[in-house]
Amino acid sequence: MDIQSTRDLLDYCQRENKSIAEAMIDQEHFKSGKPKQEIFDMMKERLEKMQRAVNEGLEDASEAPSGISGGDAVKMRAYIDAGDVLSGSIISDAMACSMATSESNARMGVIVATPTAGAAGILPGVLFSLHKNTDLDLDKLVMGLFTASMLGYIIANRSFISGAAGGCQAEVGSATAMAAGTIVELKGGSPQQAVHATAMAMKSLLGLVCDPVAGLVEVPCIKRNVIGTSIAFSAADMALASIESRIPCDEVIDTMYDIGKNMPRALRETALGGLAITPTGKQVKERLFSKTKLVKQLKGENSDESQNNDNGIKTASGVIPDRE
Amino acid sequence: MGYNSCFDIIGPIMVGPSSSHTAGAVWIGRAVFELLGEAPDRVEITLYDSFAETYQGHGTDKALLGGLLGFDTEDVRIKHAYDHAEEINLIHTFILEESCPEFNHPNVAIIKAEKGNKILEVGGASVGGGLSQIFRINNIKVEFTISTNEDLKKVVKYKNA
Repeated sequence: MDIQSTRDLLDYCQRENKSIAEAMIDQEHFKSGKPKQEIFDMMKERLEKMQRAVNEGLEDASEAPSGISGGDAVKMRAYIDAGDVLSGSIISDAMACSMATSESNARMGVIVATPTAGAAGILPGVLFSLHKNTDLDLDKLVMGLFTASMLGYIIANRSFISGAAGGCQAEVGSATAMAAGTIVELKGGSPQQAVHATAMAMKSLLGLVCDPVAGLVEVPCIKRNVIGTSIAFSAADMALASIESRIPCDEVIDTMYDIGKNMPRALRETALGGLAITPTGKQVKERLFSKTKLVKQLKGENSDESQNNDNGIKTASGVIPDRE
Repeated sequence: MGYNSCFDIIGPIMVGPSSSHTAGAVWIGRAVFELLGEAPDRVEITLYDSFAETYQGHGTDKALLGGLLGFDTEDVRIKHAYDHAEEINLIHTFILEESCPEFNHPNVAIIKAEKGNKILEVGGASVGGGLSQIFRINNIKVEFTISTNEDLKKVVKYKNA
């Protein structure tokens, strides 16, 4: 058993009368030989780590070391608490939880890659908002992670999930598509509807480039995660209304691959294009990296001294040549 | 390509900020640690392409050092890997290059490590989502992936390579 397309997936779900999440557990059991309960518990551990990152992030107003992110999750929460949110509680809570996770990620906090760290805010955002606003308990959310991983598994093996390989469409695009299908299944929609939601969400993010300012997973990554949650809910609502993607999901995924292959290197996580090379983006890079270079230089000087020391004590020397 | 498990997609549990540039880099460093059975005395790490362009922002250098020190992807000590490397006198040099001629991927690191009189060279590519592919150990071409602690067993097989 190795599901490589949404076509295979839907065939399996229909033949076995199973959900997408159950199909994932079947496949994992088949491939790894691990008992299903152990597989479930491993996924539950990941959900718990996600919850911790959300909870900590919602309380933490500190800046990332770069100084270009941090504090927005707390602002979002205060805005929600004030009680006059345009997009309603499901979407606004998802935005806050997503921001909390992505801000923690930027601080080098502990997160769960879903499927990547750059896109780690979207699934927890969606899941913990559903947990807060509906009757879905934590075990149901774990099943949601199996739905998400099945969809992500197909995307990752047919296309890509890293910004360096395929642009942001491969990261935030994939995560949003996975989240859309997951919401549908958690809301009781059919596997077909979940796959349509996946396709619709991914279509809306095709072509999105990876252009992180100074190469940091902060600007524009954090806000793209936050907005990804809204797209996931919109796609899920369409699918639950029985609206279908006119282009089949597998073809959308293959298109994401083709677009990524044609994307210039400057727009694939090299920080050499897009928002990264705006005047402000360049200023940030200059400010941050001149600081780092200085530290390296000082370190180098210190270690030279200690290497000349008669005791022969060698300290670490981080020599990083300047490329310019 | 190469994703085998739901935990390749949901996971790893890791310190941020990047699964490919941080967690994946930990695995490449960790492969060296596992092969030596301990942290090396000296390393020369060549970063290629996207790794070379963005290692500072992603903490790729800290992640590789963390792996070389035997840390897991979720170990919060990675943030201060330079200090921990210094504590054990691990001498480290980074070299930055454009595309890797040996392996066609933007996130490649090749680590030359020394421990006592042992010399080891490992090439790895972080292909996305915290999954790394090891493509060379010394002069032997290999092809296996690491995305969990369990996968590290695949490395140990090459201990006498």
